[in-house]
Amino acid sequence: MEFNSLALDLDEIESKYPENPLDFFRNKKLCLFKACLEKYFPGVRWGIHDLLEELNLDISVCENQSCCSGTFFQRNLITRAQFAAINERNLSELNQQADVVLFSCNGCYNSLLRGRDFLKNPDVKRKTQEILSRLKAKSSGKNYPGKYEILDNPKLKLVHDLDLLYLIRNDVLNTLKFDLKKLKVAVHYGCHYLNLSRDKKTADAYLRDKTKLDELVLLFGGKPVEYQEKEACCGWGASQIVIHPKEALKITYNKLKSAENVDADFMLMPCPTCLYTLSKPEYREKINKYYKEKLDIPTIHINELIAILRGCEEERCITLRRKTPRLDEIYSIITQD
Amino acid sequence: MVDDIESDDNWNDDFLAELIADVEENRNIIECISCGKCVGECPASKISNFNIRKIIQKILRGDKSVLKEDDIWYCFLCEKCKRVCPREGINIPLLIINLRNESFKKGYGPRYNDLTKYVEMAERFLTSGVVVEEQLGNKLPQEMIDELNEICNFARIKYVFKASKTNKNKRKKRK
Repeated sequence: MEFNSLALDLDEIESKYPENPLDFFRNKKLCLFKACLEKYFPGVRWGIHDLLEELNLDISVCENQSCCSGTFFQRNLITRAQFAAINERNLSELNQQADVVLFSCNGCYNSLLRGRDFLKNPDVKRKTQEILSRLKAKSSGKNYPGKYEILDNPKLKLVHDLDLLYLIRNDVLNTLKFDLKKLKVAVHYGCHYLNLSRDKKTADAYLRDKTKLDELVLLFGGKPVEYQEKEACCGWGASQIVIHPKEALKITYNKLKSAENVDADFMLMPCPTCLYTLSKPEYREKINKYYKEKLDIPTIHINELIAILRGCEEERCITLRRKTPRLDEIYSIITQD
Repeated sequence: MVDDIESDDNWNDDFLAELIADVEENRNIIECISCGKCVGECPASKISNFNIRKIIQKILRGDKSVLKEDDIWYCFLCEKCKRVCPREGINIPLLIINLRNESFKKGYGPRYNDLTKYVEMAERFLTSGVVVEEQLGNKLPQEMIDELNEICNFARIKYVFKASKTNKNKRKKRK
């Protein structure tokens, strides 16, 4: 296994801070990576932001960060070197202001590690530096040393929100006002969390079943349920849902149906792209049209759930998501005294 | 007697050599044992004719028909195949991206105008640095949007963006 040194070493934190891993993050600057699809689900951002603020951590966003551009790379609209250059530009800006960057989106997290992995290829690295040097020559904005260089040894570390939440789960639990009232939860990890090798040190860590989201559900007083399509894709499939909608929606349908078959009360996931796919009313309507079945299982991102459980105002947790089926029901059940 | 069976004489490694020249990691597909685990776990194989085992076999035979066929455009890039593959180092998602590049180069890929959603996303990325209309928070400073444009020089994303502008102009003229 080739561990990407940009990934936060969770095992090391657990061994160095066995009493309370949260201590590692004290006096560190944390930055939330802005995932594009958070626009539709602001609670994904506020959920983690408000929690970390309550835990007295130093939290910010980086205004100079662009989209991770993974979607363009995956659709062959930019080369590996261009993708890596966009990535290095973002990493340089983030490295200026943060020690640890947090990701609410599987895709963004994978992209930033992947862009860095591409630099292991000498040809891609040379081309990437050529692009960055061209930027330097044309630079017109604020500059700082090393801005247009490939970072040799960045202090910056990257971590997925789910991994962080799990690491500091006991502190998270202490902030909660409500519990999950034994609701049945169908957990969905998402492909780029389940199948990611870049942040794993051992083959075992890469291959074994992932359980962190299930464990959090249990800890928060819910019941994680097993369902046939648990490890299946949400249907987004690197924009397959846009390009081959009818076919890709079959995957979405199978997933939702499989969760409904075991009477799950809602689906929980750690990625706004999966959330978008599994909850978009237009997709649900198309599923109804193509497969003659109305599926109304609610869908929630782990950050939104934390916000609900912490007793955040409804508007801040799940605003703009009024059309998501039966979400208000779940909100009412959890927040009833 | 079967007449149309492929003889060894038709096999060559030119195609594989081309793919390796572009992405060294593609060399590892020689290690494929055709076990089919990747196909069994593949979401694209459930909804289309996408079959990575067959695609690898064709590449190893030097058969470039995979570039013309629609199949490679159904891959979900979910990386499940990489995780379930019993061999080490076979990176199918990267191979697929590589094949799509070759397909584009030969003019077989989807036409830019067919990528409507991508036209919109490309436009937003090159004018604001994001792919969804507006983010929570401030817009990227202009000099940084210029940097993104500079990085993307000569990339397909620029042609997609240009196609969107041409389409808009055509629509205006029609009005």
